[in-house]
Amino acid sequence: MRIAVCIKQVPDSTQVKVDPATGTLIRAGVPSILNPYDHYALECALKLKKETGAEVCVVSMGPPQAQEVVRLALALGADRGILLSDRAFAGSDTWATSYALSQALRHLGGVDLIMCGVMAIDGDTAQTGPGIACQLGIPQITFCDEISVAGTTVRAKRLIEGGHETVEAGFPALATMSLPHEYERAYPSFRQIAAAQEKPYEVWTVATIHADPKFLGLNGSPTRVDRVYAPSARERGTIFTGSPAEIVARFLEILKQENFVK
Amino acid sequence: MPIDTVSRNLMLDSLKKYAVRRLPYDTIRELDSANEFPADILKEMYNPDILGLHLLLIPREQGGLGGSTVDIYRVCEMLARIDLGVATSVFATFLGSDPLRVGGTPEQKEKWMRRIGEECLLVAYGATEADAGSDLINLRTRAERVEKDGKITGYKITGNKQWISNGGVADLYTVLAMAPGGPSWFLVERGTPGFEPNKHEDKHGIRLSNTAALSFDEAFVPAENLIGEKEGQGLMQAQAVFGYTRLMVAAFGLGAGEEAVETAIRYSQQRIQAGGPLSQKQGYTHKLIVPHEIKFEAARAYIDHVARRLDGDAHGLQTEGAIAKYYATEAGNKAAEDSIQALGGYGYTRDFPVEKIKRDVKITCIYEGTNEIMEMTIYRGRWQEHLKSRGQYYADLGRELEALHAQSADVGADSAALCLKALAVILEQCREQKLTRQQYTSFKLGELIAKAEVAMVFSRSAADKNYTEGVKVDRDTLKAMARVCARETALEVALEGVKLVLGGGTGSAAELTGATGLIAIEDKQRGVMNDKDFIAAKLNEVYRSK
Repeated sequence: MRIAVCIKQVPDSTQVKVDPATGTLIRAGVPSILNPYDHYALECALKLKKETGAEVCVVSMGPPQAQEVVRLALALGADRGILLSDRAFAGSDTWATSYALSQALRHLGGVDLIMCGVMAIDGDTAQTGPGIACQLGIPQITFCDEISVAGTTVRAKRLIEGGHETVEAGFPALATMSLPHEYERAYPSFRQIAAAQEKPYEVWTVATIHADPKFLGLNGSPTRVDRVYAPSARERGTIFTGSPAEIVARFLEILKQENFVK
Repeated sequence: MPIDTVSRNLMLDSLKKYAVRRLPYDTIRELDSANEFPADILKEMYNPDILGLHLLLIPREQGGLGGSTVDIYRVCEMLARIDLGVATSVFATFLGSDPLRVGGTPEQKEKWMRRIGEECLLVAYGATEADAGSDLINLRTRAERVEKDGKITGYKITGNKQWISNGGVADLYTVLAMAPGGPSWFLVERGTPGFEPNKHEDKHGIRLSNTAALSFDEAFVPAENLIGEKEGQGLMQAQAVFGYTRLMVAAFGLGAGEEAVETAIRYSQQRIQAGGPLSQKQGYTHKLIVPHEIKFEAARAYIDHVARRLDGDAHGLQTEGAIAKYYATEAGNKAAEDSIQALGGYGYTRDFPVEKIKRDVKITCIYEGTNEIMEMTIYRGRWQEHLKSRGQYYADLGRELEALHAQSADVGADSAALCLKALAVILEQCREQKLTRQQYTSFKLGELIAKAEVAMVFSRSAADKNYTEGVKVDRDTLKAMARVCARETALEVALEGVKLVLGGGTGSAAELTGATGLIAIEDKQRGVMNDKDFIAAKLNEVYRSK
């Protein structure tokens, strides 16, 4: 069994601020991390590896420094790392990225299960995973927080409004992983990190994956970002205290003052 | 395959994440207050399934990771940022295994290095005694031969050791003792009859690190525990690694200092006084923040430069190790002091970590040879170069920096060149007037040499296409820092040098001013304030308060 995990390097968005003047993200001094949802998806894949002996390949797309997250994944236990890195990928939106990753997965071949984080914390779109499934024409199970495999079937527990539902799909399938309630990311030991240096790691370009450049980059991206801005902070509200009757009376008084009621 | 930059950064990241989870400031504060060594934390840090950071010091042949000098100094810097007591405890294992690494026979290395790695042994380095600190000649601990049928079967060790890091908690001790053939290192296991560690000292700082005296009363060790299996090699084995071990203490000064100043920068963005945050006030930033950040980047450039030389084909580098230690630990100590000032009343309480860092970092100016011993070591090393080159050592380096300035005009290489040339003149004046017979003068020269060489390496590093690992500011800021460092160092070296020569000898102030190029150096001070404004603004971008 072969599992492919799609991962992304993102700025640690808990530390990113938007420059109010230019609308751009202030990146100075902000560390890059493995997207936490992808981190969890990888850990789920490694658990399946332990249970089934599956091979786990990680695939990422990004500039050369994205090698860091691929190496982290290898240190955590992935068997093979692939980085799609080519100037022609730059500026790709979620659709073009889905195309590139699906081409890479086709090129990789023999993938039974594809696992992605539900979304990346820098864009919050949750589109890339479903986009890949769409491009490959395979079933998708989104927003999962538990996953298991039996034979050639994947079974996942997915979050829905007010509860969970359990969904099964036959291989090949794609699952996007959401974060469970209590989750502490695992980090590799020094020995695991050193050993990861020896594991297979490849950089693939547009040519490697036989992608058509017109579906990549800005040209291949239907999305246009109008502007990025930090929403203005909401004004602090007023909290009324007292008995329900007092609060209602006070509230009515304000509604009258503001001419909402007569 | 040597550990590469990506792996190194992943290791630092794992270490940092571990500390965030297991050593938050509140925990550290409690341990500090209770004067308690966190044995469980050390065991976890050594546990190969959790971190296994001690494996860096074990060669690959013996099952370790064979970390380079760069790997180890980077980890030391990160450990010091977490807690200098914990850092010291880990370092003691590194230090304790050094005599073995340098002087052990292949069989001894195979046995003991493998055990340290696999059994996660805490090691202690037992050299210091009540009357033998930096000067080990007065060593009193004795090792008497035990012979059977004319063959040496072992040694009985008798004496006392003092200020031994991990002294009360180590599993294995390397102990320096006077054997009939001269000072020698012995491996002593915990629990050896006749050997007792004493109580944990009540120290000013690094209170998470166990420090204890050791008592030996005819403690028997087998002959195979004599490191190198030859008597009299001890001092040589101790000396051989000073360049390396002092570099690690330099990284401690750097890491602890950085942590203190970054706390101050973040605080200053939130502390509003007289209508604005302290971070926007020049009287604050240019006194309490900017000078230290410049020194840290200078120290980092120097430490990294020496580490890469040691990982290359250079050996010893004792003078360079002393320069790194002197410069980085003085910088870290002063920075921690100013960070308390930067936090005002809050800084003086234990609610913020700067008060503890200040107590902790002081030790870096003392252990692995006091900074006065460093001044002497630096002076002795470079004085020989000055004499051998007939006064041209620093003049030549000055010319190299002039050439660098022609290539890269914005890294302060012109000022660094003037600085080195002034230093050459001062040294020559001291030689002609025999001023180094005055001990203060020779020590002060050690200080000036350290500062001049660090400024020189910093200018080169700011111009180098390879960016030093761990630098958080961008290239323009790094260049501005190198300019300020070179300009101010040049002025300090020239002025202090003139003061030394005129104060201790004879001569004309006007002539000396001319010969040292003091006026030209003063001319180079133009623009320093602009650079500091630029640096202060950048630091506020890089270290934003959460």
